[in-house]
Amino acid sequence: MGLVESGKLPKSLNKLLSISRKYSIWAYQWGLACCAIEMGAAFASPRYDVMRLGVIPFPASPRQADLVVIAGTVTDKLAPAVVRLYEQMPDPKYVISMGSCANCGGPYWDSYSVTKGVDQLIPVDVYVPGCPPRPEALLEGILLLQERIAHEDMADRWKGEPIVVG
Amino acid sequence: MTATSDREQIAALAARANDNRVNLDFETEGMTLNMGPQHPATHGTLRIVARLDGEQVISAEPVPGYMHRGYEKLVEVRSYPQINTLVNRIDWLGSFANEVPFILAAEKLMGVEAPPRAQWIRTILFEMSRIANISLFLGDYGLQLGAMTAGFYAFRDREHVLNQIEAATGGRFHPNFDRIGGLKDDLPKGWITDSHRAMDKLLAFCDELDDLLVGNEIFQSRTRGIGVIPRDIALSYGLSGANLRASGVDWDLRRDSCPPGLVYDQADWKVWTHPDGDCFGRTWVRLQETREAALIVKQLLDTIPSGPVMAKVPRIIKVPEGEAYVETENPLGAMGYYIISKGDLVPFRVKIRSASFNNISVVPWVARGAYVPDLISILGSLYFILGDIDR
Amino acid sequence: MSQLSSADTTTETPAEEATEVEIDERRQAVLDELTARLGDAVVGSHIRPGDDLWVRVERAAWPEAAQVAKALGYTWFDFLSGIDWLPSPFGRDMDAQVDLQVSGAPVKEPAPLVQGYAGGDTRFQVFARLYSIAAGMGIHFKADLPDDELSIGTWSRTYFGADWHERETAEMFGFHFEGHPHLVKLYLPADFQGFPLRKDFPLLARRVRPWPGIVDVEPMPGGDESEGEGE
Repeated sequence: MGLVESGKLPKSLNKLLSISRKYSIWAYQWGLACCAIEMGAAFASPRYDVMRLGVIPFPASPRQADLVVIAGTVTDKLAPAVVRLYEQMPDPKYVISMGSCANCGGPYWDSYSVTKGVDQLIPVDVYVPGCPPRPEALLEGILLLQERIAHEDMADRWKGEPIVVG
Repeated sequence: MTATSDREQIAALAARANDNRVNLDFETEGMTLNMGPQHPATHGTLRIVARLDGEQVISAEPVPGYMHRGYEKLVEVRSYPQINTLVNRIDWLGSFANEVPFILAAEKLMGVEAPPRAQWIRTILFEMSRIANISLFLGDYGLQLGAMTAGFYAFRDREHVLNQIEAATGGRFHPNFDRIGGLKDDLPKGWITDSHRAMDKLLAFCDELDDLLVGNEIFQSRTRGIGVIPRDIALSYGLSGANLRASGVDWDLRRDSCPPGLVYDQADWKVWTHPDGDCFGRTWVRLQETREAALIVKQLLDTIPSGPVMAKVPRIIKVPEGEAYVETENPLGAMGYYIISKGDLVPFRVKIRSASFNNISVVPWVARGAYVPDLISILGSLYFILGDIDR
Repeated sequence: MSQLSSADTTTETPAEEATEVEIDERRQAVLDELTARLGDAVVGSHIRPGDDLWVRVERAAWPEAAQVAKALGYTWFDFLSGIDWLPSPFGRDMDAQVDLQVSGAPVKEPAPLVQGYAGGDTRFQVFARLYSIAAGMGIHFKADLPDDELSIGTWSRTYFGADWHERETAEMFGFHFEGHPHLVKLYLPADFQGFPLRKDFPLLARRVRPWPGIVDVEPMPGGDESEGEGE
């Protein structure tokens, strides 16, 4: 796949690949705090059912995941684990930061042990605000991410600004 | 993590364990199994470092702190209404239940009492958060033991309770509804009828799970006789809630020393205990508790008195000097707040006694001699919320 | 009994008073028993009738106090932690006084160090709570720790649950618990510097940037003006 990385792929083929990627996102759930439960409601409950969007929520390992949802408070003690998780994922990889804590520290903005924003550790594609965001908000974030993936040139993956749902 | 074949080291560990349940007859190599910080069985970010001899656990040491947010420091620079927002996020499955003991402790220091209607609604919402909390446990525990269906059922029926909490408070998860001296608002129209309906669904859910999960033979064989915690050990570790009642201790703070401000004496209900102290007992007690909670809610819904929901308190809350401790029976066990006030806008010191912290500290004791798959049963049945351990 | 009666009764009614006095006697009896068994080690006490009992013991008698309480039926371990009675050298916005003085603010006299119930002589105290399920009562124990020797005996042999509580207290306050089997950091990363729950540990994020929601303590329209601003 050297063609893909160098950006020498024909446009139509690129589009086809992007559409296929859009509807087969393997999402690794990194549930950390309260948001994990809302993420669980979005991913596992019959009411919100994320699979209808083409997201497969149960990869066994980050090594087979395209998307990671950082749902909850990241502490300084946990930070190395988050970075290691991100490094294990194969390219191209996407990150959704879910909830105020992962976005900016949230209610623990002045804490001595909380990392104020997961974007200090890893690049984030979509920010979903809320404390915790409703499952619908997470689904909206996933839809926006899919839009981005569909129109993305795989070569310059990091050109765009992050999306803020809201 | 290092794997060592040093048999002496294992023997030393076992000697330190001082427990004849560990069998050293097999010439097996010791190894260290590291679970977490991200592991499905820890529902959150708890790390368990287990020393194994073959498939037997010699010692298991939980490493908490991956979710430590420094609550006790943060509350020293926040005013009482702000703390109310913050403490919602300790046990995030039963958020409203976190607010209640804090508010009651502050009310005790201020000498105010909520009006009867507020006390009723408080108790109802308290029990609803208990249902929201424990119903997820029942589903999640099934999930951990390989019964996927229970998880879907729990997520489905939990939504009914969350809808009711949301309808009353405006928050699905973190209501922030309790106030010093009462509640933020009165109930919306039609809420009582809807709640009756939701509780009926929850009672049906309990029956369903009784058949589907707790009555299941495979489930029973994976939980019966596993992770037995005797009464003395449970008391000494400060276990509380269903973990303590499953060890045969008939003690429930709601019944035995209910703090003023909650009206459990107005409903007819029962405290369930189990004599075995094993994983099955803990699950069974929790299932009965969910059912009782739904029954309490149904009874209290019929008897809500009319009147205001807020007592007269000053707009800017300054709590008089003093110390007070209030403990309530939260979904996870006894949760208390020790407030030291110096008469300021902010408390001088708040010690938060959270149930899971004590509940999980028994793991090194109870996991010793268990097998690796049983470790999952034991961890799941002790039922902890990471935010409640780490605060 | 009508449904409202329990909620409507206030402390003025005679029935309530009678029970309060009764419970008060029970707590006094517990205190007497503790004093009899511990002797001079009990250096302070406080009873709030019908509510709680505080007992302050000598530092040397701290482990013994646990054993005595356990023998009296206080078998359920509730919690153990520490208190730093130093008035915070920083305000709510975590601005150090020295920094404020540079920008011309008046020198503020530090507030006196005042201990709470059951008294005390030192800045640091250890406190713990035990509960008797049979009696339905709890006891708060406190003990003074002198600044030059922040160490005290462990409870973890009497109450297994104290193990983790002591580890937490040790890392949060910098206390040492003699005889604790495994006194290492519990919550914080191993290389964490400082003891967060000491009052002189600043929350640096607050010093860098004032709290964005500080308007919350401004006087509300129609509220009591005199209670407006915090420190």
